[in-house]
Amino acid sequence: MRMRNHVVVSRTIIRAFGVAIFLIVPLLATAQEPSPSPSSDYVSRAEYDKLKAEHDAMKQELEALKAQIGELAKAPVPSPAAAPAEGKQVVTEMPSEAATEELRQEIDTLKTQVKETFPGTTKFLLAGYGTAGFTARSGEDPFFDAAFNALFLWKLTDRLFFEGEMELEFENEETTINLEVAQAAYLLNDYMTIGVGRFLNPMDFFVERQHMNWVNKLPDKPLAVYDGLFPESELGGQLRGVIPIGPTKLEYAAFVANAPGLITESDDFSEIGMLDFDNDANFGGHVAVGGHLGFIPIPQLEVGYGIQRSKVGPRDQAVVNVLQSVDFNYVSDSALLKGLINLRAQWGWSHVGDFVYDPDGSQGFGPLEFNNNRNGGYAQLSYRPTHIDNDYIKNFEGVFRYDRLNQLHTPVGFDEQRWTFGLNYWLTPSTVIKAAYEVDDKNGGARDQNAFLMQAAVGF
Amino acid sequence: MKESVSRVCKFVGLPGALIIVLCAALTWLIGCATNKQSGEVAAGTTGGATGKSGAQLWAENCIRCHNIRSPSSYSPAQWEVVMMHMRVRANLTPEEHKKILEFLKSGS
Repeated sequence: MRMRNHVVVSRTIIRAFGVAIFLIVPLLATAQEPSPSPSSDYVSRAEYDKLKAEHDAMKQELEALKAQIGELAKAPVPSPAAAPAEGKQVVTEMPSEAATEELRQEIDTLKTQVKETFPGTTKFLLAGYGTAGFTARSGEDPFFDAAFNALFLWKLTDRLFFEGEMELEFENEETTINLEVAQAAYLLNDYMTIGVGRFLNPMDFFVERQHMNWVNKLPDKPLAVYDGLFPESELGGQLRGVIPIGPTKLEYAAFVANAPGLITESDDFSEIGMLDFDNDANFGGHVAVGGHLGFIPIPQLEVGYGIQRSKVGPRDQAVVNVLQSVDFNYVSDSALLKGLINLRAQWGWSHVGDFVYDPDGSQGFGPLEFNNNRNGGYAQLSYRPTHIDNDYIKNFEGVFRYDRLNQLHTPVGFDEQRWTFGLNYWLTPSTVIKAAYEVDDKNGGARDQNAFLMQAAVGF
Repeated sequence: MKESVSRVCKFVGLPGALIIVLCAALTWLIGCATNKQSGEVAAGTTGGATGKSGAQLWAENCIRCHNIRSPSSYSPAQWEVVMMHMRVRANLTPEEHKKILEFLKSGS
Protein backbone atom coordinates (compact mmCIF):
# COMPACT_ATOMS: atom_id res chain seq x y z
CA MET A 1 0.00 0.00 0.00
CA ARG A 2 2.79 2.42 1.03
CA MET A 3 4.75 1.35 -2.02
CA ARG A 4 1.78 2.02 -4.26
CA ASN A 5 1.29 5.52 -2.82
CA HIS A 6 4.94 6.32 -3.39
CA VAL A 7 4.63 5.18 -6.96
CA VAL A 8 1.57 7.41 -7.47
CA VAL A 9 3.27 10.42 -5.85
CA SER A 10 6.44 9.91 -7.86
CA ARG A 11 4.39 9.68 -11.02
CA THR A 12 2.62 12.87 -10.07
CA ILE A 13 5.89 14.69 -9.44
CA ILE A 14 7.30 13.50 -12.76
CA ARG A 15 4.14 14.66 -14.56
CA ALA A 16 4.21 18.04 -12.87
CA PHE A 17 7.85 18.61 -13.72
CA GLY A 18 7.25 17.43 -17.26
CA VAL A 19 4.46 19.92 -17.73
CA ALA A 20 6.53 22.63 -16.04
CA ILE A 21 9.36 22.05 -18.49
CA PHE A 22 6.83 22.04 -21.30
CA LEU A 23 5.63 25.47 -20.16
CA ILE A 24 8.98 27.04 -19.43
CA VAL A 25 10.84 25.91 -22.56
CA PRO A 26 8.49 27.72 -24.98
CA LEU A 27 8.79 30.83 -22.84
CA LEU A 28 12.57 30.71 -22.98
CA ALA A 29 12.41 30.03 -26.68
CA THR A 30 10.01 32.92 -27.13
CA ALA A 31 12.35 35.20 -25.21
CA GLN A 32 15.20 34.21 -27.50
CA GLU A 33 13.27 34.52 -30.72
CA PRO A 34 13.89 37.79 -32.55
CA SER A 35 11.06 40.34 -32.46
CA PRO A 36 7.92 38.28 -31.90
CA SER A 37 5.95 41.49 -31.38
CA PRO A 38 4.16 42.86 -34.44
CA SER A 39 4.30 46.25 -32.84
CA SER A 40 8.05 46.73 -33.17
CA ASP A 41 11.39 45.05 -33.72
CA TYR A 42 12.24 45.03 -30.06
CA VAL A 43 10.65 44.05 -26.77
CA SER A 44 9.43 47.18 -25.08
CA ARG A 45 9.75 47.81 -21.34
CA ALA A 46 6.04 47.28 -20.91
CA GLU A 47 6.10 43.99 -22.81
CA TYR A 48 9.17 42.85 -20.86
CA ASP A 49 7.54 43.75 -17.56
CA LYS A 50 4.37 41.97 -18.54
CA LEU A 51 6.18 38.78 -19.53
CA LYS A 52 8.29 38.97 -16.40
CA ALA A 53 5.20 39.32 -14.25
CA GLU A 54 3.62 36.35 -15.99
CA HIS A 55 6.79 34.34 -15.56
CA ASP A 56 6.92 35.18 -11.86
CA ALA A 57 3.27 34.26 -11.48
CA MET A 58 3.91 30.93 -13.16
CA LYS A 59 6.86 30.27 -10.90
CA GLN A 60 4.68 30.92 -7.91
CA GLU A 61 2.03 28.59 -9.28
CA LEU A 62 4.63 25.86 -9.79
CA GLU A 63 6.01 26.33 -6.28
CA ALA A 64 2.48 26.02 -4.95
CA LEU A 65 1.95 22.87 -6.97
CA LYS A 66 5.21 21.41 -5.70
CA ALA A 67 4.17 22.19 -2.16
CA GLN A 68 0.85 20.45 -2.74
CA ILE A 69 2.61 17.38 -4.10
CA GLY A 70 4.98 17.41 -1.13
CA GLU A 71 2.07 17.49 1.28
CA LEU A 72 0.44 14.61 -0.50
CA ALA A 73 3.67 12.61 -0.26
CA LYS A 74 3.95 13.33 3.48
CA ALA A 75 0.35 12.41 4.17
CA PRO A 76 0.13 9.58 6.75
CA VAL A 77 -0.49 6.21 5.25
CA PRO A 78 -3.14 4.19 7.02
CA SER A 79 -1.70 1.30 9.01
CA PRO A 80 -2.69 -2.20 8.02
CA ALA A 81 -4.69 -2.46 11.23
CA ALA A 82 -6.60 0.66 10.43
CA ALA A 83 -6.83 -0.18 6.78
CA PRO A 84 -10.36 -0.26 5.47
CA ALA A 85 -11.89 -3.23 3.94
CA GLU A 86 -10.63 -4.30 0.54
CA GLY A 87 -13.51 -2.71 -1.28
CA LYS A 88 -12.74 0.71 0.22
CA GLN A 89 -9.10 0.87 -0.88
CA VAL A 90 -10.13 2.49 -4.11
CA VAL A 91 -11.61 5.36 -2.11
CA THR A 92 -8.27 5.89 -0.33
CA GLU A 93 -6.45 6.15 -3.68
CA MET A 94 -8.98 8.47 -5.29
CA PRO A 95 -7.69 11.77 -3.81
CA SER A 96 -4.31 11.24 -5.46
CA GLU A 97 -5.92 10.68 -8.85
CA ALA A 98 -8.27 13.61 -8.32
CA ALA A 99 -5.39 15.82 -7.26
CA THR A 100 -3.46 14.82 -10.36
CA GLU A 101 -6.44 15.63 -12.54
CA GLU A 102 -6.86 18.97 -10.76
CA LEU A 103 -3.20 19.75 -11.32
CA ARG A 104 -3.54 18.87 -14.96
CA GLN A 105 -6.52 21.20 -15.31
CA GLU A 106 -4.69 24.03 -13.57
CA ILE A 107 -1.69 23.58 -15.81
CA ASP A 108 -3.92 23.51 -18.88
CA THR A 109 -5.47 26.78 -17.70
CA LEU A 110 -2.02 28.27 -17.24
CA LYS A 111 -1.02 27.11 -20.72
CA THR A 112 -4.10 28.78 -22.16
CA GLN A 113 -3.37 32.00 -20.29
CA VAL A 114 0.24 32.01 -21.49
CA LYS A 115 -0.87 31.40 -25.07
CA GLU A 116 -3.33 34.29 -24.83
CA THR A 117 -0.45 36.66 -24.14
CA PHE A 118 1.34 35.81 -27.37
CA PRO A 119 1.35 38.72 -29.83
CA GLY A 120 -1.22 38.37 -32.57
CA THR A 121 -3.73 36.58 -30.40
CA THR A 122 -7.19 37.85 -31.28
CA LYS A 123 -9.78 38.48 -28.61
CA PHE A 124 -13.25 39.19 -29.89
CA LEU A 125 -16.35 40.47 -28.17
CA LEU A 126 -19.82 41.11 -29.52
CA ALA A 127 -21.48 43.89 -27.57
CA GLY A 128 -24.03 46.59 -28.37
CA TYR A 129 -27.52 47.63 -27.51
CA GLY A 130 -31.12 47.17 -28.57
CA THR A 131 -34.05 49.54 -28.38
CA ALA A 132 -37.82 49.47 -28.72
CA GLY A 133 -39.73 52.72 -28.65
CA PHE A 134 -43.09 54.41 -29.01
CA THR A 135 -43.74 57.99 -30.10
CA ALA A 136 -47.02 59.91 -30.02
CA ARG A 137 -46.40 63.43 -31.33
CA SER A 138 -49.23 65.90 -31.80
CA GLY A 139 -50.17 66.34 -35.44
CA GLU A 140 -48.58 63.03 -36.43
CA ASP A 141 -49.63 59.39 -36.36
CA PRO A 142 -48.19 57.57 -33.34
CA PHE A 143 -45.68 54.85 -34.18
CA PHE A 144 -43.47 52.15 -32.73
CA ASP A 145 -39.84 51.80 -33.68
CA ALA A 146 -37.02 49.41 -32.96
CA ALA A 147 -33.28 49.45 -33.43
CA PHE A 148 -30.35 47.16 -32.87
CA ASN A 149 -26.76 48.32 -32.70
CA ALA A 150 -24.16 45.58 -32.87
CA LEU A 151 -20.72 46.48 -31.64
CA PHE A 152 -17.87 44.25 -32.78
CA LEU A 153 -14.70 44.58 -30.75
CA TRP A 154 -11.42 42.91 -31.53
CA LYS A 155 -8.32 43.18 -29.36
CA LEU A 156 -5.71 42.04 -31.84
CA THR A 157 -2.66 42.74 -29.68
CA ASP A 158 -2.00 44.76 -26.55
CA ARG A 159 -1.68 47.79 -28.82
CA LEU A 160 -3.92 47.10 -31.80
CA PHE A 161 -7.68 47.27 -31.54
CA PHE A 162 -10.58 47.29 -33.99
CA GLU A 163 -14.14 48.33 -33.37
CA GLY A 164 -17.08 48.22 -35.71
CA GLU A 165 -20.65 49.32 -35.05
CA MET A 166 -23.56 48.51 -37.27
CA GLU A 167 -27.01 49.97 -36.70
CA LEU A 168 -30.14 48.25 -37.92
CA GLU A 169 -33.21 50.38 -37.46
CA PHE A 170 -36.85 49.72 -38.24
CA GLU A 171 -39.01 52.79 -38.55
CA ASN A 172 -41.82 53.91 -40.83
CA GLU A 173 -42.03 50.50 -42.52
CA GLU A 174 -38.39 50.60 -43.51
CA THR A 175 -35.30 48.86 -42.23
CA THR A 176 -32.12 50.85 -42.56
CA ILE A 177 -28.56 49.68 -42.02
CA ASN A 178 -25.85 52.15 -41.14
CA LEU A 179 -22.18 51.64 -40.55
CA GLU A 180 -21.66 53.90 -37.57
CA VAL A 181 -18.10 52.95 -36.69
CA ALA A 182 -15.29 51.02 -38.41
CA GLN A 183 -12.06 52.06 -36.79
CA ALA A 184 -8.65 50.50 -36.29
CA ALA A 185 -6.87 52.03 -33.30
CA TYR A 186 -3.22 51.64 -32.40
CA LEU A 187 -1.72 52.66 -29.07
CA LEU A 188 1.46 54.50 -30.08
CA ASN A 189 2.51 54.96 -26.47
CA ASP A 190 0.88 55.46 -23.07
CA TYR A 191 -0.60 58.81 -24.07
CA MET A 192 -1.21 58.65 -27.80
CA THR A 193 -3.60 56.52 -29.81
CA ILE A 194 -3.98 56.79 -33.54
CA GLY A 195 -7.22 55.71 -35.19
CA VAL A 196 -8.21 55.41 -38.83
CA GLY A 197 -11.52 54.64 -40.48
CA ARG A 198 -14.98 55.76 -39.53
CA PHE A 199 -15.21 56.98 -35.96
CA LEU A 200 -17.66 58.87 -33.78
CA ASN A 201 -17.19 62.62 -34.03
CA PRO A 202 -14.64 63.52 -31.31
CA MET A 203 -15.63 67.20 -31.23
CA ASP A 204 -19.20 66.36 -30.18
CA PHE A 205 -19.24 65.08 -26.59
CA PHE A 206 -22.85 63.90 -26.71
CA VAL A 207 -22.28 61.85 -29.84
CA GLU A 208 -19.11 60.23 -28.59
CA ARG A 209 -20.12 59.49 -25.01
CA GLN A 210 -23.87 59.85 -24.55
CA HIS A 211 -25.83 58.96 -27.65
CA MET A 212 -26.13 55.22 -26.96
CA ASN A 213 -29.75 54.54 -26.04
CA TRP A 214 -28.93 52.71 -22.81
CA VAL A 215 -26.70 55.64 -21.79
CA ASN A 216 -28.89 58.55 -22.96
CA LYS A 217 -31.34 59.43 -20.19
CA LEU A 218 -34.35 60.27 -22.37
CA PRO A 219 -36.13 58.41 -25.17
CA ASP A 220 -35.12 60.98 -27.77
CA LYS A 221 -31.93 62.93 -28.30
CA PRO A 222 -31.32 66.65 -27.82
CA LEU A 223 -31.69 69.12 -30.65
CA ALA A 224 -28.60 70.60 -32.27
CA VAL A 225 -25.92 68.29 -30.85
CA TYR A 226 -27.36 65.09 -32.34
CA ASP A 227 -28.51 64.90 -35.95
CA GLY A 228 -28.41 68.69 -36.06
CA LEU A 229 -25.40 70.95 -36.25
CA PHE A 230 -22.64 68.33 -36.16
CA PRO A 231 -21.80 65.12 -38.01
CA GLU A 232 -22.32 61.92 -36.04
CA SER A 233 -19.24 60.25 -37.42
CA GLU A 234 -16.13 61.21 -39.32
CA LEU A 235 -14.33 59.33 -42.08
CA GLY A 236 -10.58 59.86 -41.78
CA GLY A 237 -7.96 59.61 -39.07
CA GLN A 238 -7.58 60.80 -35.52
CA LEU A 239 -4.90 61.13 -32.89
CA ARG A 240 -6.14 61.11 -29.32
CA GLY A 241 -5.11 60.48 -25.76
CA VAL A 242 -4.98 61.74 -22.24
CA ILE A 243 -2.34 63.51 -20.21
CA PRO A 244 -2.41 63.25 -16.41
CA ILE A 245 -1.44 66.54 -14.81
CA GLY A 246 -1.14 65.97 -11.09
CA PRO A 247 -4.58 64.96 -9.87
CA THR A 248 -6.21 66.33 -13.05
CA LYS A 249 -6.42 65.03 -16.59
CA LEU A 250 -6.31 66.68 -20.00
CA GLU A 251 -7.93 64.80 -22.86
CA TYR A 252 -7.20 65.64 -26.44
CA ALA A 253 -8.30 64.54 -29.90
CA ALA A 254 -7.29 65.88 -33.30
CA PHE A 255 -8.63 64.58 -36.58
CA VAL A 256 -8.69 65.03 -40.34
CA ALA A 257 -11.70 63.76 -42.24
CA ASN A 258 -13.89 64.19 -45.29
CA ALA A 259 -15.58 67.58 -45.18
CA PRO A 260 -19.38 67.83 -45.08
CA GLY A 261 -21.21 68.62 -48.28
CA LEU A 262 -23.23 71.79 -48.81
CA ILE A 263 -26.82 71.32 -49.91
CA THR A 264 -27.35 73.74 -52.79
CA GLU A 265 -30.23 71.94 -54.50
CA SER A 266 -33.21 70.27 -52.89
CA ASP A 267 -36.93 69.79 -53.34
CA ASP A 268 -37.27 70.91 -49.74
CA PHE A 269 -36.35 74.61 -49.56
CA SER A 270 -35.65 74.38 -45.82
CA GLU A 271 -32.67 72.14 -46.57
CA ILE A 272 -30.92 74.77 -48.71
CA GLY A 273 -27.73 75.91 -47.03
CA MET A 274 -27.64 72.93 -44.67
CA LEU A 275 -24.69 70.59 -44.40
CA ASP A 276 -24.75 67.06 -45.78
CA PHE A 277 -22.92 64.89 -43.29
CA ASP A 278 -23.27 61.75 -45.41
CA ASN A 279 -20.76 63.09 -47.90
CA ASP A 280 -18.80 59.84 -48.06
CA ALA A 281 -17.79 60.43 -51.68
CA ASN A 282 -16.34 63.75 -50.47
CA PHE A 283 -18.00 65.86 -53.19
CA GLY A 284 -15.96 69.05 -53.50
CA GLY A 285 -12.79 67.31 -52.37
CA HIS A 286 -12.45 69.29 -49.15
CA VAL A 287 -10.82 68.12 -45.94
CA ALA A 288 -12.12 68.87 -42.47
CA VAL A 289 -9.70 69.46 -39.62
CA GLY A 290 -10.86 69.43 -36.04
CA GLY A 291 -10.32 68.43 -32.48
CA HIS A 292 -11.51 68.40 -28.93
CA LEU A 293 -9.87 69.32 -25.65
CA GLY A 294 -11.38 68.07 -22.42
CA PHE A 295 -10.27 68.96 -18.91
CA ILE A 296 -11.08 66.89 -15.82
CA PRO A 297 -10.11 68.97 -12.75
CA ILE A 298 -11.86 66.57 -10.36
CA PRO A 299 -13.20 63.10 -11.14
CA GLN A 300 -16.81 64.31 -11.09
CA LEU A 301 -16.37 67.18 -13.56
CA GLU A 302 -15.40 67.38 -17.20
CA VAL A 303 -15.42 70.46 -19.42
CA GLY A 304 -14.50 70.53 -23.06
CA TYR A 305 -14.26 72.48 -26.30
CA GLY A 306 -14.49 71.05 -29.80
CA ILE A 307 -14.00 72.57 -33.21
CA GLN A 308 -14.10 71.49 -36.83
CA ARG A 309 -13.17 73.62 -39.81
CA SER A 310 -13.41 72.92 -43.50
CA LYS A 311 -14.48 74.33 -46.80
CA VAL A 312 -17.79 73.20 -48.21
CA GLY A 313 -19.54 73.46 -51.55
CA PRO A 314 -18.39 73.11 -55.15
CA ARG A 315 -14.62 73.37 -55.51
CA ASP A 316 -14.68 76.68 -57.43
CA GLN A 317 -17.24 78.33 -55.11
CA ALA A 318 -16.25 76.81 -51.77
CA VAL A 319 -17.07 78.67 -48.57
CA VAL A 320 -15.83 78.23 -45.04
CA ASN A 321 -17.66 76.08 -42.53
CA VAL A 322 -16.79 76.22 -38.82
CA LEU A 323 -18.43 74.02 -36.20
CA GLN A 324 -17.79 74.67 -32.52
CA SER A 325 -19.01 73.08 -29.32
CA VAL A 326 -18.56 73.56 -25.59
CA ASP A 327 -19.56 70.84 -23.14
CA PHE A 328 -19.99 70.55 -19.39
CA ASN A 329 -20.56 67.31 -17.51
CA TYR A 330 -20.89 66.84 -13.78
CA VAL A 331 -21.73 63.48 -12.22
CA SER A 332 -21.70 62.98 -8.46
CA ASP A 333 -22.88 60.27 -6.12
CA SER A 334 -24.04 62.55 -3.32
CA ALA A 335 -24.43 61.26 0.22
CA LEU A 336 -26.16 64.51 1.14
CA LEU A 337 -28.81 64.12 -1.56
CA LYS A 338 -28.82 60.33 -1.15
CA GLY A 339 -28.41 59.69 -4.82
CA LEU A 340 -26.72 60.14 -8.12
CA ILE A 341 -26.76 63.63 -9.64
CA ASN A 342 -26.12 63.93 -13.34
CA LEU A 343 -25.83 67.41 -14.84
CA ARG A 344 -24.90 67.81 -18.48
CA ALA A 345 -24.89 70.71 -20.90
CA GLN A 346 -23.59 71.30 -24.39
CA TRP A 347 -23.93 74.17 -26.83
CA GLY A 348 -22.87 74.28 -30.44
CA TRP A 349 -22.47 76.74 -33.29
CA SER A 350 -22.44 76.12 -37.03
CA HIS A 351 -21.27 78.74 -39.48
CA VAL A 352 -21.43 78.44 -43.27
CA GLY A 353 -20.02 81.40 -45.18
CA ASP A 354 -21.85 83.54 -47.76
CA PHE A 355 -22.96 81.46 -50.73
CA VAL A 356 -25.16 82.29 -53.68
CA TYR A 357 -27.84 79.61 -54.00
CA ASP A 358 -29.80 79.06 -57.23
CA PRO A 359 -27.73 81.67 -59.09
CA ASP A 360 -29.64 81.31 -62.36
CA GLY A 361 -33.09 81.08 -60.76
CA SER A 362 -33.74 77.62 -62.19
CA GLN A 363 -34.93 76.32 -58.80
CA GLY A 364 -37.40 79.14 -58.47
CA PHE A 365 -36.05 80.96 -55.46
CA GLY A 366 -32.72 82.46 -56.52
CA PRO A 367 -30.39 84.02 -56.77
CA LEU A 368 -30.32 83.98 -52.99
CA GLU A 369 -27.20 84.81 -50.99
CA PHE A 370 -26.89 84.21 -47.27
CA ASN A 371 -24.57 82.85 -44.63
CA ASN A 372 -26.07 80.01 -42.67
CA ASN A 373 -25.48 80.53 -38.97
CA ARG A 374 -27.23 78.26 -36.52
CA ASN A 375 -26.70 77.39 -32.90
CA GLY A 376 -28.28 75.29 -30.19
CA GLY A 377 -27.76 72.79 -27.43
CA TYR A 378 -29.17 71.34 -24.26
CA ALA A 379 -28.97 71.26 -20.49
CA GLN A 380 -30.07 68.15 -18.62
CA LEU A 381 -30.42 67.23 -14.97
CA SER A 382 -31.19 63.80 -13.64
CA TYR A 383 -31.42 62.34 -10.16
CA ARG A 384 -31.56 58.75 -9.01
CA PRO A 385 -31.97 57.98 -5.28
CA THR A 386 -29.37 55.24 -5.20
CA HIS A 387 -28.80 55.56 -1.44
CA ILE A 388 -32.43 54.96 -0.51
CA ASP A 389 -32.80 51.60 1.16
CA ASN A 390 -35.60 50.39 -1.06
CA ASP A 391 -34.91 48.14 -4.04
CA TYR A 392 -37.69 49.66 -6.13
CA ILE A 393 -37.38 53.36 -5.35
CA LYS A 394 -33.65 53.44 -5.88
CA ASN A 395 -34.09 52.18 -9.42
CA PHE A 396 -36.23 55.13 -10.43
CA GLU A 397 -34.61 58.15 -12.01
CA GLY A 398 -36.13 61.54 -12.74
CA VAL A 399 -34.86 63.54 -15.71
CA PHE A 400 -35.39 67.08 -16.96
CA ARG A 401 -33.95 68.45 -20.18
CA TYR A 402 -34.14 71.78 -21.94
CA ASP A 403 -32.95 71.81 -25.53
CA ARG A 404 -33.03 74.46 -28.21
CA LEU A 405 -32.11 75.02 -31.85
CA ASN A 406 -31.93 78.56 -33.24
CA GLN A 407 -32.36 78.76 -37.00
CA LEU A 408 -34.92 81.52 -37.51
CA HIS A 409 -32.78 83.42 -40.01
CA THR A 410 -32.21 80.44 -42.28
CA PRO A 411 -34.49 78.79 -44.83
CA VAL A 412 -35.88 76.67 -41.97
CA GLY A 413 -37.43 79.86 -40.64
CA PHE A 414 -38.06 79.09 -36.97
CA ASP A 415 -36.39 78.55 -33.62
CA GLU A 416 -37.42 75.58 -31.52
CA GLN A 417 -37.17 74.94 -27.80
CA ARG A 418 -38.40 71.96 -25.78
CA TRP A 419 -38.90 71.08 -22.14
CA THR A 420 -38.80 67.34 -21.53
CA PHE A 421 -39.78 65.60 -18.29
CA GLY A 422 -38.82 61.97 -17.98
CA LEU A 423 -39.04 59.07 -15.56
CA ASN A 424 -36.80 56.02 -15.92
CA TYR A 425 -36.74 52.66 -14.23
CA TRP A 426 -33.45 50.76 -14.27
CA LEU A 427 -33.90 46.98 -14.35
CA THR A 428 -30.14 46.42 -14.47
CA PRO A 429 -27.23 48.86 -14.81
CA SER A 430 -27.62 48.68 -18.58
CA THR A 431 -31.34 47.99 -19.00
CA VAL A 432 -33.80 50.83 -18.67
CA ILE A 433 -37.42 51.65 -19.36
CA LYS A 434 -37.99 55.34 -20.09
CA ALA A 435 -41.11 57.44 -20.32
CA ALA A 436 -41.15 61.16 -21.08
CA TYR A 437 -43.42 64.04 -21.97
CA GLU A 438 -42.04 66.76 -24.20
CA VAL A 439 -43.40 70.30 -24.41
CA ASP A 440 -42.50 71.87 -27.71
CA ASP A 441 -42.38 75.57 -28.60
CA LYS A 442 -41.55 76.95 -32.03
CA ASN A 443 -41.66 80.54 -33.23
CA GLY A 444 -41.82 81.84 -36.80
CA GLY A 445 -45.33 80.48 -37.26
CA ALA A 446 -44.33 76.83 -37.06
CA ARG A 447 -46.64 74.38 -35.26
CA ASP A 448 -45.75 73.22 -31.76
CA GLN A 449 -45.60 69.45 -31.42
CA ASN A 450 -45.80 68.12 -27.90
CA ALA A 451 -44.97 64.45 -27.60
CA PHE A 452 -45.28 61.41 -25.37
CA LEU A 453 -42.32 59.10 -25.69
CA MET A 454 -41.48 55.65 -24.37
CA GLN A 455 -38.40 53.54 -24.85
CA ALA A 456 -36.88 50.33 -23.55
CA ALA A 457 -33.13 50.06 -24.01
CA VAL A 458 -30.79 47.17 -23.28
CA GLY A 459 -27.02 47.43 -23.37
CA PHE A 460 -25.05 44.18 -23.52
CA MET B 1 8.90 77.80 -43.81
CA LYS B 2 6.87 80.93 -43.08
CA GLU B 3 4.93 80.39 -46.29
CA SER B 4 4.13 76.82 -45.31
CA VAL B 5 2.94 77.89 -41.85
CA SER B 6 0.80 80.69 -43.25
CA ARG B 7 -0.61 78.32 -45.88
CA VAL B 8 -1.57 75.79 -43.19
CA CYS B 9 -3.07 78.56 -41.03
CA LYS B 10 -5.05 79.86 -44.00
CA PHE B 11 -6.34 76.37 -44.75
CA VAL B 12 -7.35 75.26 -41.27
CA GLY B 13 -8.03 78.67 -39.74
CA LEU B 14 -6.54 80.10 -36.60
CA PRO B 15 -8.44 77.94 -34.08
CA GLY B 16 -7.65 74.79 -35.99
CA ALA B 17 -4.00 75.77 -36.31
CA LEU B 18 -3.84 76.46 -32.58
CA ILE B 19 -5.29 73.05 -31.77
CA ILE B 20 -2.88 71.33 -34.12
CA VAL B 21 0.13 73.21 -32.75
CA LEU B 22 -0.99 72.56 -29.17
CA CYS B 23 -1.54 68.88 -29.80
CA ALA B 24 1.80 68.60 -31.59
CA ALA B 25 3.61 70.35 -28.73
CA LEU B 26 1.89 68.20 -26.12
CA THR B 27 2.60 65.11 -28.14
CA TRP B 28 6.28 66.00 -28.36
CA LEU B 29 6.54 66.80 -24.66
CA ILE B 30 4.72 63.66 -23.66
CA GLY B 31 6.73 61.57 -26.10
CA CYS B 32 9.95 62.79 -24.48
CA ALA B 33 8.57 62.23 -21.00
CA THR B 34 7.36 58.76 -21.93
CA ASN B 35 10.75 57.74 -23.28
CA LYS B 36 12.58 59.02 -20.22
CA GLN B 37 10.16 57.62 -17.70
CA SER B 38 9.02 54.46 -19.40
CA GLY B 39 10.18 52.44 -16.40
CA GLU B 40 8.20 54.63 -14.04
CA VAL B 41 5.12 54.50 -16.20
CA ALA B 42 5.29 50.75 -16.45
CA ALA B 43 5.60 50.59 -12.70
CA GLY B 44 2.39 52.61 -12.40
CA THR B 45 3.35 56.03 -11.09
CA THR B 46 1.15 58.09 -13.40
CA GLY B 47 -0.13 61.17 -11.60
CA GLY B 48 -3.94 61.15 -11.64
CA ALA B 49 -4.54 57.60 -10.47
CA THR B 50 -1.71 57.27 -7.97
CA GLY B 51 -2.87 55.90 -4.66
CA LYS B 52 -6.35 55.04 -5.87
CA SER B 53 -7.57 51.48 -5.96
CA GLY B 54 -8.97 49.80 -9.03
CA ALA B 55 -12.42 49.81 -7.46
CA GLN B 56 -12.25 53.55 -6.82
CA LEU B 57 -11.05 54.30 -10.35
CA TRP B 58 -13.74 52.00 -11.76
CA ALA B 59 -16.42 53.95 -9.89
CA GLU B 60 -15.01 57.38 -10.76
CA ASN B 61 -14.36 56.88 -14.44
CA CYS B 62 -17.22 54.67 -15.59
CA ILE B 63 -19.97 56.65 -13.88
CA ARG B 64 -18.91 59.82 -15.69
CA CYS B 65 -20.69 58.47 -18.80
CA HIS B 66 -22.89 55.54 -17.78
CA ASN B 67 -23.99 53.29 -14.91
CA ILE B 68 -21.21 51.12 -13.62
CA ARG B 69 -21.47 47.48 -14.60
CA SER B 70 -20.76 44.67 -12.20
CA PRO B 71 -17.43 42.87 -12.59
CA SER B 72 -19.46 39.69 -13.07
CA SER B 73 -20.99 41.11 -16.27
CA TYR B 74 -18.12 39.75 -18.34
CA SER B 75 -15.43 37.09 -18.11
CA PRO B 76 -11.80 38.15 -17.49
CA ALA B 77 -10.99 37.71 -21.20
CA GLN B 78 -14.03 39.79 -22.19
CA TRP B 79 -13.07 42.53 -19.74
CA GLU B 80 -9.71 42.80 -21.46
CA VAL B 81 -11.46 43.63 -24.73
CA VAL B 82 -14.01 45.93 -23.12
CA MET B 83 -11.34 47.83 -21.21
CA MET B 84 -9.21 48.33 -24.29
CA HIS B 85 -12.28 49.76 -26.00
CA MET B 86 -12.88 52.06 -23.03
CA ARG B 87 -9.24 53.07 -22.86
CA VAL B 88 -9.54 54.48 -26.38
CA ARG B 89 -13.09 55.84 -26.16
CA ALA B 90 -12.97 57.29 -22.65
CA ASN B 91 -9.32 58.32 -22.70
CA LEU B 92 -8.15 56.28 -19.72
CA THR B 93 -4.56 56.60 -18.58
CA PRO B 94 -2.44 53.43 -18.63
CA GLU B 95 -2.54 53.19 -14.86
CA GLU B 96 -6.30 53.65 -14.71
CA HIS B 97 -6.67 51.01 -17.41
CA LYS B 98 -4.41 48.57 -15.59
CA LYS B 99 -5.93 48.99 -12.14
CA ILE B 100 -9.55 48.93 -13.30
CA LEU B 101 -8.90 45.85 -15.43
CA GLU B 102 -7.25 44.03 -12.53
CA PHE B 103 -10.20 44.89 -10.31
CA LEU B 104 -12.78 43.76 -12.85
CA LYS B 105 -10.94 40.53 -13.62
CA SER B 106 -10.56 39.70 -9.96
CA GLY B 107 -14.29 40.10 -9.44
CA SER B 108 -15.54 38.42 -12.60
